[in-house]
Amino acid sequence: MNSVLTYVALSMALFVIGAIGVCLRRNAIVVFMCIEMMLNAVNLAFVAFSKLHGNLDGQIAVFFVMVIAAAESAIGLAIILSVFRSVASVETTDAGELKW
Amino acid sequence: MSFIGFVIGVVAIVSGVCVVGLRNPLYSAFALVTNLLAMAGLYAALDAHFLAVSQVVVYAGAIMVLVLFVLMLLNLKSESGRKLGFIRSAVALVIGCVVLLSALPPVFARFAGMSEVTVSDNARDSEGTVKAIGQELYTKYVAQFELSSLVLLIGVVGAVMLSKRRSVTLQPRAGGLVGGSK
Repeated sequence: MNSVLTYVALSMALFVIGAIGVCLRRNAIVVFMCIEMMLNAVNLAFVAFSKLHGNLDGQIAVFFVMVIAAAESAIGLAIILSVFRSVASVETTDAGELKW
Repeated sequence: MSFIGFVIGVVAIVSGVCVVGLRNPLYSAFALVTNLLAMAGLYAALDAHFLAVSQVVVYAGAIMVLVLFVLMLLNLKSESGRKLGFIRSAVALVIGCVVLLSALPPVFARFAGMSEVTVSDNARDSEGTVKAIGQELYTKYVAQFELSSLVLLIGVVGAVMLSKRRSVTLQPRAGGLVGGSK
């Protein structure tokens, strides 16, 4: 077994931890942080396979994932803020109504 | 994986579990900072130097500052009233372990035969220095690079639009949901 696969296994473990967090936690900001962690886990797999294949394409993909994650964090936190303004809570269970 | 890589990997796993498990969102945020820094170390161990630096600057710097800023702004109490629930946690843990253990063997079977040396004859090609990444980015991926700047612009405009206050006073949630919209 080569060492790159250890990194892939690590990234899978981190992805599963993040997914469990998304399912379990109710605080929207913590859910958001778990999504960031899942994105990072995928990034680690990209870098590991980039090393395995010996070219830079995986690392370029990670670069673009980082760009999207930055935009996503700005928009996501703005959405959480505006939800907080209308329901005065960031618990996902409190924002169940579609219209009010 | 070298010894230092193993240690950093353990740090990443432990801090990831802390992000999910800690009650206070602020502690989760700091655990996530640790996790992101550990990931930067792993990138550096995989010869992705540029990504390691931008991970520290973009993720651990900018994004986490934004998250902490929102956390402090909302001034949240830790979710003390609501417990995660033992049964829910146990079910999630079991499902997670099953998914992980069923996904690992196929990946290992597919890639176990390949060693880095046979795949990449020239190992220096995969070294993600600033020069190499920049050369790829501005030649092969220049269209995508420009598009990503457009995405960032849309993100900025969207964030401003979403968080703009439309003469709405914050009303605490009393009884039903009182609409603040005008």
